[in-house]
Amino acid sequence: MANLKEIQRQIKSVSNTQKTTRAMKLVSTAKLRRAEELAKRSRLFAQKTNQVIAEIAARIQCNKVGGIENRCFLENDAPEMIDIIFVTADKGLCGGFNMQTIKAVKRVMAEYKNKKVKIRLRGIGKKGIEFFNYNEVEMLDEVKNLSSAPDMQRSSEFMARSIDDFKEGKIDAVYIIYNGYLNVITQQLHVNRVLPVDVSAYECDVEKDSMLEFEAQDEEKMLDSLVTKYAEYNMYYALIDSLAAEHSARMQAMDAATNNAKEMVNSLKVKFNKARQEAITTELIEIISGVESMK
Amino acid sequence: METLQLEVLTPSGPIFNGPAKSVTLPGEEGEFGVLPEHVSLTTLLQAGVVDIQKENGKTESIVVNWGVVQITHDKVVVLVDGAVAIRGDSEGDIAKALDEAKSLISSVADSNTMIASVSARIESAAHNLV
Repeated sequence: MANLKEIQRQIKSVSNTQKTTRAMKLVSTAKLRRAEELAKRSRLFAQKTNQVIAEIAARIQCNKVGGIENRCFLENDAPEMIDIIFVTADKGLCGGFNMQTIKAVKRVMAEYKNKKVKIRLRGIGKKGIEFFNYNEVEMLDEVKNLSSAPDMQRSSEFMARSIDDFKEGKIDAVYIIYNGYLNVITQQLHVNRVLPVDVSAYECDVEKDSMLEFEAQDEEKMLDSLVTKYAEYNMYYALIDSLAAEHSARMQAMDAATNNAKEMVNSLKVKFNKARQEAITTELIEIISGVESMK
Repeated sequence: METLQLEVLTPSGPIFNGPAKSVTLPGEEGEFGVLPEHVSLTTLLQAGVVDIQKENGKTESIVVNWGVVQITHDKVVVLVDGAVAIRGDSEGDIAKALDEAKSLISSVADSNTMIASVSARIESAAHNLV
């Protein structure tokens, strides 16, 4: 009989867990919808910004002797120090979501360490920070509670440090590593180089017929201020994209957990029925043998 | 009457997207107006007010803190960092938008004159709405 009670207790506990995971899945589904919408609206801005930057850069590149002089656009083949910014979630329970990002960070770090490049690691998101702290990897700075509630102002402030250091020449490249949203069931890992901006893809003659005119004196100045915004915006976009991915990953993980719990309850029920049957049979045998002995 | 296609985009989504008769922008070198068939131009904006004259003759004001505008002959794309549109259905909404706009402008503007002039402009714009 003790066994029966034990199984019953287990069934109850598993189905309680199932209730929790199902609720978490529903919460994530709702949050995902919002995050996805935010990312979608924001993408428009990204497209236009990239377009404007590319046009101006291409124009300067083609019309000015010596091409672009702005540091933000020059390819650097031998970087000495780079910034790696990673974005993970603040919370767990989302499958391999955080681990994928962490692995990618470790891979990129190893790659650059081999090339004898110094790395400054900057972390956003509690989970990643905890991991690197535990493994005693030094980090330049740590920001928590930003990846769960992306905020343009805070992300800009965070990014400003990298941008300033880059412009001053302290660092030679800035990478952002995050797990982005592809669709409801897949996340895609991004390793983006934000600075220097890659404009090599834009051909000179593309702009010839567009007759673009500028306020003549401020081309460089405009580019400079655009690049800052571009980098800041990229940071912000990484955050919202990562948030959408986090929710989709959690949704999946919780869905799987709910299904697992369901299976577990079923197998426990079978076990319970068997044990019950066994108990009845034993009892019957006891009664029968009792009657037999009375004869 | 000809119109131009105006888009005002912020990182958190478009604020205005539609036809307009004309638009006045706070350029880095001073304020300038854009009518349809304007020559192609790309320039920086400073903190200030974007005035839009809409197709139906009404005007709308949007306060911006920084921006870039790209003008091609029938299309104007304004990329801004932070923007607040002065609009709303009730007086309460408009007052709220006004407050947001004022805090936006005072967070970037360094001179009191600019804050005062922008405040005055949006207040009069809000007045016309009510």
